Amino acid sequence: MSAERTPLLQVEGVSLSFGGLACLSALDLVVDEGEIVSVIGPNGAGKTSLFNVITGVYPPDKGRILLEGSSLLGLDPHQIARRGVARTFQTLRLFLNMTVKENVMAAAYGHTKAGVVRSVLRTPGMRREEREIERLAEERLGFFGDRLVGYRWRQPAYSLSYANRRRLEIARATAARPKLLLLDEPAAGMNPVETHEITELIGRLRDEGGYTILVIEHDMHVVEGISDRVVALDHGVKIAEGSFDAVATDPRVVEAYLGTSGSERT
Amino acid sequence: MDWDKLVQLLVNGVTLGSVYALVALGFSMVYGILKLLNLAHGDVLMVGAFIGWGVLGWLGGAQDPSVAVWILIVLMVLGAMVGCGFLGVAIERFAYRPLRRAPRIAPLISALGVSLFIQNSVLLLFGANFRSYESFDLVDVEVGVHWGPLNVWILRIVVFVSAAAMMIALWLLVSRTKLGKAMRATAFDREAAAMMGIDVDRVIVKTFFIGSALAGAAGVLVGLVFGSINHFMGFNYGLKGFTAAVVGGIGSIPGAMFGGLFIGLAEALSVGYIEDVTFGRLGSAFSDLVVFLILVAFMLLRPQGIFGKPDVKKV
Amino acid sequence: MSTQPPEQKQGEPAEQPRIGIDEWVASAAERRSRTLAGRFEEAYERAPPALKLVALALPFAIFPLFVDSDYLLQVGVDTLIFVLLALGLNVAAGWVGLLDLGFVAFFGLGAYLYAAVASPYAGRHWEAELAIPAIAVAVAAAGFLLGSTSRRLVGDYLAIVTLFFLQLWLVVMVNASFTRGPNGISDIYPLEFFGREVVSLEGYYYVTFAAFVLVVAFLYLLNRSRTGRAWRAIREDELAAELMTMPVNRLKLMAFAVGAGIAGVAGALYAPAQGAVFPLNFDIVLLITIYAMVVLGGAGSIFGVTVGAVLINASLEALSEPDDASWVFYVAGVGAILVLLRRPRWAGAAIVGGTVVFGFVVHELAERWRPSLVEGSTFGTARVDELVDSWVLLPEGIITQDGLPDGATGKLAFLGLVAAVLALTLIRSPLWRAVGLVPVLYLAACVWENLLLAQPATARFILIGAMLVGLMAFRPQGLFGQQRVEVV
Repeated sequence: MSAERTPLLQVEGVSLSFGGLACLSALDLVVDEGEIVSVIGPNGAGKTSLFNVITGVYPPDKGRILLEGSSLLGLDPHQIARRGVARTFQTLRLFLNMTVKENVMAAAYGHTKAGVVRSVLRTPGMRREEREIERLAEERLGFFGDRLVGYRWRQPAYSLSYANRRRLEIARATAARPKLLLLDEPAAGMNPVETHEITELIGRLRDEGGYTILVIEHDMHVVEGISDRVVALDHGVKIAEGSFDAVATDPRVVEAYLGTSGSERT
Repeated sequence: MDWDKLVQLLVNGVTLGSVYALVALGFSMVYGILKLLNLAHGDVLMVGAFIGWGVLGWLGGAQDPSVAVWILIVLMVLGAMVGCGFLGVAIERFAYRPLRRAPRIAPLISALGVSLFIQNSVLLLFGANFRSYESFDLVDVEVGVHWGPLNVWILRIVVFVSAAAMMIALWLLVSRTKLGKAMRATAFDREAAAMMGIDVDRVIVKTFFIGSALAGAAGVLVGLVFGSINHFMGFNYGLKGFTAAVVGGIGSIPGAMFGGLFIGLAEALSVGYIEDVTFGRLGSAFSDLVVFLILVAFMLLRPQGIFGKPDVKKV
Repeated sequence: MSTQPPEQKQGEPAEQPRIGIDEWVASAAERRSRTLAGRFEEAYERAPPALKLVALALPFAIFPLFVDSDYLLQVGVDTLIFVLLALGLNVAAGWVGLLDLGFVAFFGLGAYLYAAVASPYAGRHWEAELAIPAIAVAVAAAGFLLGSTSRRLVGDYLAIVTLFFLQLWLVVMVNASFTRGPNGISDIYPLEFFGREVVSLEGYYYVTFAAFVLVVAFLYLLNRSRTGRAWRAIREDELAAELMTMPVNRLKLMAFAVGAGIAGVAGALYAPAQGAVFPLNFDIVLLITIYAMVVLGGAGSIFGVTVGAVLINASLEALSEPDDASWVFYVAGVGAILVLLRRPRWAGAAIVGGTVVFGFVVHELAERWRPSLVEGSTFGTARVDELVDSWVLLPEGIITQDGLPDGATGKLAFLGLVAAVLALTLIRSPLWRAVGLVPVLYLAACVWENLLLAQPATARFILIGAMLVGLMAFRPQGLFGQQRVEVV
């Protein structure tokens, strides 16, 4: 771990409750640039709440969140997104009635400037931006091979298969030019072949795209295949952190998943 | 300090507020269950007012009623409640139910169509002239409570008491009966309620019936106290009722009651004092401005209303 | 069936059927080009924007050449104003999905502002090239302000706040002394562009037409930019849009402002064209009418909304003339039946034919057994009214002099018709629905001839209200809107 540079993401002492239910309790998490960190835990452990807090959907009751050293607290979600945090959703949230390409182009909003006047007058600057955005979208979609290219660009997003929708969501997130990519159960609902693809994909995202990735996953094969580090949560509390092997055999983690102190790794 | 005027304004406010509360109740109940703003609710009130007027005419009219006055009034209210209850059920069935899975603004636009349709149907059938309940012939204006500065016509008391009675009955229904429990469950989570064996459609129909019946009753009460009705009256009462529901906390029954009274009093006091307060700059017609500012203030500072809970979205 | 998706890009591998390539979706374009409507759609999409604008504008441009009456030209001007209003409402309600119920207040504000800068009452006369842009900006700012009261709130609350704003507008305009109350402001100065006054009706038509062209171009270009994309993304999923770097609140305010600005321009043209402004011109009935235009044409589509506005305004005009009203009713009615009942193809024609026969039978029976049922008359004076005189029942004494239903028969007939139509939607089996449709259609014609024609001004709004409800239930995308997939 490079201790010289500021970590990309620092979550310090973050707590979040809804009514009486504590979703996150004094959570600490550090993610360095270029890492792939998996967040695991049984349902209700607070994983998606963690993502929601980082992206600014809910303000934490206590604690700090720092991106490259500067605080994200109090910022609107779109400002946090512009600073370099993008995510996908556990239950897909695509712009279904827009075309595949438009879905990705839309996410490029934050890094462009053309306002109403320049858009309507079609200034050279605006036209250049539009070409850039389109090129970016095509490039991001091309990341997935042939699946989302060509005639697919013009298809409405609702015509895509489930797996393609997940891929599109990832492509859209990367179009927001993030530094930190949050993937919420990217392999959910995928068959073994697709799951294997996703595992490779996440690696490629880091290697080729340079993104730092935080992944929530239930599928342990995926977690094993991609993670530099694994963090386990249960009831809003971090119960283990380390390499995959260390965490997977940690008795507290096993107990959280299986309920008793089983000795077998699934 | 003109106590007579103040007392009179307070009485007006309570009367008006009772009506607004009844409208707000029906509106709030429907919103609680369906997350739907029933913009046609005000027109249901208007239809109730016309039904009441129809019953009045059918039973001899205000000058020469064929039954005792109090029975007449009860019949008018009941007739309006039943008629409007069914009207509300029809509106739900044909304008809103097909749109259960549509985006949120779809039923609102449909409601606009319903509103236009109902208003103009009444206009077609009854004409544009104001119709009068001739309530002063029905119940002499001197009959009432006269105690010190308090000069309350008995019909105003009737309005307040009947509104209060209906609200208490509703509160009991929602908190003590099985139907009430079903309503609360459906309002909380429609799918889960259905899976627990609650016939959600039935519950929704009953909610609309009750809510619309309350609006119908409110319409008759308006006719009795304020005398004249016409096809367009629903807009104003509907709007104030919606505001009252929002201010009190939408989806909450005590909220609707409280919101109604609050808005009614705010309006009555504004009508009475706005000219003085603004040194003649703004006339009493600008009481609506005061109510609007109250609404906006709540929207900005406490959108969940007085009794409401902040709406937390699950992402 | 072709396994090649059309429009291959250079350097892509040849498409074979394999995992990941959806043949059905890939051949969508080919299937579309097999239908006539599909080919039109394709040609439309491929056309350059300038050509589309010309195609849209052409009918309006040449309209005055085919019209020789002032009345029709005035209708043309009003229609263009309505088109502008529909286009403005489309921005917030169609593209972003915000329910702005105060929209006509901005229209009124624009009209009154013009009166405030160009009338003897105000004591000044600004030239139009200054007044109109200034008013557009001022009204847009008002829209911005109104929108900002609904910060971060669910669209439902926005509806109430904007509705109240409209109410407030009406109250202020009717009661405030500086607005001259219900009498409004009259003797408004005509438009003056660079020293030349616009005095003829044709002149106003072309000025409004120019505004229409500019607004359409403006909106089209805006839609095809990051702003338009962001607006549409907000309509799809507001939270996802916000998390994908789009500043949702600011974009919503912009939509409000742009829509309001367009309404303001419409108002600024309306005032001098009419010569006077009255506060009650800008009421909720107008608001619902504009919503009907947007919904009928297809929310979100510039072309659709324009068509919707033309159709509805033309119908409104025709329906208030006893000479023309019935044409609209029967043509639209028969047309709707033929279009909606297409499976099997002969179904529509059969229903219409069946209704005609049914009607004649009933009329004959009535003539024999109860002659008073056919001895009345209708208020309608169109040719088609004369034709149906021996087809519908025209009971005597059903209408008073003023056109109100006298006694219970008329009222019951109307209510019965409403109930029957609603009951029809509950019948599942298409056969029984068709059977039931015949007497209902006949009853509708009778109610039309007897009751509705007597009060055409009211009848047309009954029809619009019913149409709006029906559209939302059965075809929410209207005529030219996109059929949307919604996530619940």
